[in-house]
Amino acid sequence: MKKYLFIIKTEIMSNLQYIFNVIFGYVGYFILLFILFNLWKYLYSDPNELINGYSMSQMMWYVVITEILWMALGGKKLNTKICNDVKSGNITYNINKPYSYIGYSLSTHLGDILVKGVVYFLLGMLTGLIFLGKFPSLNIIQVIVVIITMFLATIISILIIMALSLVAFFIEDATPFYWVYSKLILILGTIFPIEYFPVIFQKILNFSPIYVVSYGPAKLFVDFSWKSAVVIIIAQIIYIFIAYIICQIIYKKGVKRINVNGG
Amino acid sequence: MAIIEVKKLSKNFKVKLKEKGFKGSIKSIFKPKHKIVKAVKNISFNVEKGEIVAFIGPNGAGKSTTIKMLTSILFPDKGSIKVLGLNPMQDRKKLAYEIGTVFGQKEQLWTHLTPYDNFKFFGAIYDIPDAAVERKIEELKVLFELDDFINTPVRNLSLGQRIRCEIVASLIHNPKILFLDEPTIGLDPVVKENIRSLIKRMNKEYKTTIFLTSHDVGDIEKLCKRVIIINNGQIVLDDSMENLKYHYLNKKIVEAKMKEKINLDDEDGITILKDKGYNLKIEVDTTKRSVADAIKLLNPDNIIDINISNIPLEDIISNIYKNKD
Repeated sequence: MKKYLFIIKTEIMSNLQYIFNVIFGYVGYFILLFILFNLWKYLYSDPNELINGYSMSQMMWYVVITEILWMALGGKKLNTKICNDVKSGNITYNINKPYSYIGYSLSTHLGDILVKGVVYFLLGMLTGLIFLGKFPSLNIIQVIVVIITMFLATIISILIIMALSLVAFFIEDATPFYWVYSKLILILGTIFPIEYFPVIFQKILNFSPIYVVSYGPAKLFVDFSWKSAVVIIIAQIIYIFIAYIICQIIYKKGVKRINVNGG
Repeated sequence: MAIIEVKKLSKNFKVKLKEKGFKGSIKSIFKPKHKIVKAVKNISFNVEKGEIVAFIGPNGAGKSTTIKMLTSILFPDKGSIKVLGLNPMQDRKKLAYEIGTVFGQKEQLWTHLTPYDNFKFFGAIYDIPDAAVERKIEELKVLFELDDFINTPVRNLSLGQRIRCEIVASLIHNPKILFLDEPTIGLDPVVKENIRSLIKRMNKEYKTTIFLTSHDVGDIEKLCKRVIIINNGQIVLDDSMENLKYHYLNKKIVEAKMKEKINLDDEDGITILKDKGYNLKIEVDTTKRSVADAIKLLNPDNIIDINISNIPLEDIISNIYKNKD
């Protein structure tokens, strides 16, 4: 475990060289948030009106959180990197090191996005506060719980994207899998909460990754309850466990098939 | 004691085939065709502790495939490998702590970080206590003369400096065997020489066994006492450098500048390589004729200048490749 923390620390050190890129990257997040804020403002004729159980302020804070999770994740970068590593054979240079490739990739990507995540979180809160005037009513312990669920959500997202990318061991191009997954997450949980969909569909979504990677943490932030918090965290831990096992199985099967051209 | 034991090792690759043109591309979707490339065919060899062995061969000969099987990167199809008594496929993690690898064409350092931070990173992933890493860095810094750039980000280093750091990074955990895959590729002659002397010093100081692949004859000649030549996936020669030179350096090149033109034809033991009237270049096979005999044929009184040299090792090796094709 210690070595993986060191990998995260090393990646953060490497990324701190580009802290201004992270801050400028926030512009994209801000524009998206601005568009969504105006969209919801238009849809809510009365700010006190409830649509599918959400007030306008709750809806806007919901997207602040889901967009942080979405924008800071760097899913495309991770997907491209792993697919290229597998296709080019670069992945092999990690095989004979004393760490697990899954653990190493998870740690490097976490280190890569952690600074971005913290910056986006702070600036996202500030933006929300400027637009909406006040935070949802949460105490400091509850905020920490939300941050923990956001962190776990990020780990699950990374593991799922890794599993989808490692399929490159078996097929020529694995990028379409990520494309479909990312669009599903974007629509079914990032822009719209689960409650916006038909009841039967909601039951399926509650057992899908969408519940743990975007909806859960955002819902907790806008409508905190300890019961939901416990359910979300347990679901997240189960998802991490399952996603990690799937990654390991794909990796172990795939690595035996690897062909590396040499000199 | 053999530190690397390879017995009847084979590795095949399945390569996709595609017929030419657009039609071929469509056809390959519905009826994909593959061919089996035999990269390594039934090779066996041992490496003793403390040896520096050159493992050489032309492109596509199977040397990198072999090195990757020895370092647990690739799974062999047949045969057995024991490195330090471990099976690279079953004891991958255990073996990782005992060996170091440097691939000249692949960076393993973090380019945005300094060499020092990189060494600390490698120390951490090999579970070495902090104080021991510091001591090791200090020691290697002196041996590899890194003082001037140990705190400069790797991206700002020259290729030669980077390779030195790559080697140091692979030595942080005191590996018993170091696998070097073309460590001097792309370096200028001065830097090459520097890297070679550092590798030699390292072998002497730490008794590290070195398994080296290279296209550079200089690397082989100056570093290795033993050479294994692989071609078309098979070992075509496994001998000491001394024997290689002894058996294959029985030909001498004689270049002479003459006062007067001389008429000389190929005869037993003598081959005319170049005849430009006053300048003559001949090859003498010393198993058939002595160099003194050859000079007598030229008439010593007629010679203004003479140069007698060995056939370059590069030519010897490429001849071995060709003859065993």
